[in-house]
Amino acid sequence: MKDITMPDAFPISIPERLPVRIEPCPIVEAIFEARFVGPESWATLPGLLFAQVREKYTEQKNLPLAQVPEEFRRQDPALQHLPLMQFLSRDFLIQLGPRVVSLVTKPNAYPGWLAIREELDWVVQRIKAADFVGETERLGVRYVDFFESDVFSGLRLHLAVNDQPLLGAQTDVTTVLRRGSLAIRLRVTNGAIVGTAQGPKPGSVLDVDAWFGPLEVDLFENGLVRFGEAHDTIKGLFFGLLKPELLATLHPAYV
Amino acid sequence: MTALMPPPPSSGYALVNDLREPAAVANIHRTAPDEWAREELLLAKLGARGWGRVHHFRNYYGSGWGEHAGSMLSPRALSAFFRFVDAFEFPSGVIPSVFLTDRGGIELCWEEESRKSVQVEFTRTDAEFYREATGEEGALAHGALPQLVLRLSA
Repeated sequence: MKDITMPDAFPISIPERLPVRIEPCPIVEAIFEARFVGPESWATLPGLLFAQVREKYTEQKNLPLAQVPEEFRRQDPALQHLPLMQFLSRDFLIQLGPRVVSLVTKPNAYPGWLAIREELDWVVQRIKAADFVGETERLGVRYVDFFESDVFSGLRLHLAVNDQPLLGAQTDVTTVLRRGSLAIRLRVTNGAIVGTAQGPKPGSVLDVDAWFGPLEVDLFENGLVRFGEAHDTIKGLFFGLLKPELLATLHPAYV
Repeated sequence: MTALMPPPPSSGYALVNDLREPAAVANIHRTAPDEWAREELLLAKLGARGWGRVHHFRNYYGSGWGEHAGSMLSPRALSAFFRFVDAFEFPSGVIPSVFLTDRGGIELCWEEESRKSVQVEFTRTDAEFYREATGEEGALAHGALPQLVLRLSA
């Protein structure tokens, strides 16, 4: 197989020592997602899942895509793995679609990995009890980070023209890397608008999505371990990309 | 033929107008991230027809397709299929046929130089094969795909 998007050596150096906390925390949201195939029709899935999670996720709401007719959604591959509804608890939300279920942190309220891992453990057990996942297609972790400045000048990654870094221009860079059996889509843009408690703010986004394919993962057998591995890789990649000047503005704590 | 299926939108941010995806162009197909190499592989080894059939099996055949209420294509079967197609060298000038099976597997069929057929069905759990020229048949786990490649290449 041609290997243009998959260099053998991981191009980002991951620091040996990683911070346990940064402030201000740039994480807008973190998504822990399982894509699957199963025998149940979409009409039955929300009821099956809600019956299992209602004790904590008391509120539910439809997402705009739910208004699109099912026949239309099924014919567009780009829509097949998008969620159609959400179940909300105090600290998290669960998103559900015909072939996807995910645990998502509340916007701009990252609770920390230990809290996420505990919630993932509970949610995966509840999904197993709901019994609609036949086979895991993809298991992924995605972190979206926001910076109010142009982040390219603070990253060890840039777009170059005539061997000179292109800085200051509106730029959106996406690449796919591989680290072992983990595929990683890295997207950096300095033209993003993020909703914050103070209203919409323009700035930069670092969006990292890391996932395992179907031969490497089963949500109920090794899902939690795989979520942890993807999280650890994304964390290492994040700190590996930051130049010391940008890292210093985040006041890293190591203990 | 090119490029990338846009990633699912994040509710966390929106791009400014200048950086948004241009309108879709009808004759440009965009693959999912990480799948460009797979699409190139299918085109090279199965041709445009085989590539198109796999695309349809993946995206347009839900549970209950066909007369016998077929199952959806198994993601594990598809991954094993890609690994085999990547590693196996089909006879020169031969383009295999590809089928979706009732149980959600994906099957490859081709003729060897002796004009005898070979069939391999990739399922959720293994790869089942039959080689007319030697009468061999059996099933190997996904982890044993390299052995299957060697066996069918001999």
